[in-house]
Amino acid sequence: MNYKEEITKAMTKLAQQPDTIFIGQSIAYPGHVLFHTLEGVPMEKRLEFPVAEDFQLGFSIGLALMGYLPISVYPRMDFLVLALNQIVNHLDKIPEMSAGQYTPKVIIRTLVGSKTPMNPGPQHCQDYTEALRKMISIPVYRIKAPEAVSFIYNKALEQKQSCIIVEIADLYD
Amino acid sequence: MPQSYKGWTATKLIAFEKEIADIYLMGKIHAPIHLSGGNEEQLLRIFKEIKTDDWCFATYRSHYHALLKGCPKAWIKEEIIKGNSIHLMNKKHKFFTSAIVGGICPIAVGVAMGIKMRGDKNHVWCFVGEMAAHMGIFDECLRYALWHELPINFVIEDNGFSTNTPTEEVWGGQIYFDSAKTYKYERTWPHIGCGQWVEFR
Repeated sequence: MNYKEEITKAMTKLAQQPDTIFIGQSIAYPGHVLFHTLEGVPMEKRLEFPVAEDFQLGFSIGLALMGYLPISVYPRMDFLVLALNQIVNHLDKIPEMSAGQYTPKVIIRTLVGSKTPMNPGPQHCQDYTEALRKMISIPVYRIKAPEAVSFIYNKALEQKQSCIIVEIADLYD
Repeated sequence: MPQSYKGWTATKLIAFEKEIADIYLMGKIHAPIHLSGGNEEQLLRIFKEIKTDDWCFATYRSHYHALLKGCPKAWIKEEIIKGNSIHLMNKKHKFFTSAIVGGICPIAVGVAMGIKMRGDKNHVWCFVGEMAAHMGIFDECLRYALWHELPINFVIEDNGFSTNTPTEEVWGGQIYFDSAKTYKYERTWPHIGCGQWVEFR
């Protein structure tokens, strides 16, 4: 299977888990390549969200506090930057601040925008993986090849901790 | 008319903060403290509506809220002495705070959505300062919660200042949200600490 097919398979598996819910833009409505990777995700597990990146991440934390496993989706890593407040100050710090009482788990899924055949410019194709790794203790996984997709998404599912998964849109073809 | 709730009165709340201030002045708390004061009657009235199973989200100034939510007094005192005044958390009592201004709003809305999705009957209460209520994140959260009919109440606690920045002066006017409870008060303690130098040994 190619990269996109592997991602689609991983999303279908996530959707089959109890209490998972997919949140973000292009989740219930087409508009980005990631929409097509959700073909195995039933509509009742999809929550189309307004463009409100920081709100979306905090909202995902709230759902996680209620026992859900949100897959919070950001179509481009450039947009995830707008959610850094909630990632850095809350998702990453709540377990420490609460002495382990609250351990919300959120799987954050994002993509590095493709540069070919069209280059969208400096605001739509940046890769901030290394910067994130320096800022937070939450693991940041970058999927470099189709063979790694199921391993990384399975790991995300099995571990207790939140994580950020970075896909490479240029590998989708 | 003076209020009381779960055995708490304004006098008892004020005495608790005085006790914390005394401990702080002895240099026994090596962390910031944000004392409540001046809003006892308002909070006593509001907490009468808050049920044991409800969630309560509050700010870095949350000692009164924690007491009124039912967190044990001894536990709160212990946490404050440990340095956690700024972010008191108690899962058993569904009590959650953060020291990031406005940061709790989306988390509270997410919990409210979870309650609605599960068909539960409890409710979320989210307390914010008036400066936070001027932030874009508050507007997003309030709008979303209203549109989706989520079980959440926002309470704006307006003491006119964020730290020592006068909110009305920098934002140019007051806010009135029909869909959020607002109460005004004059704080009786400084933003941080208790107005005296502390010697740490």
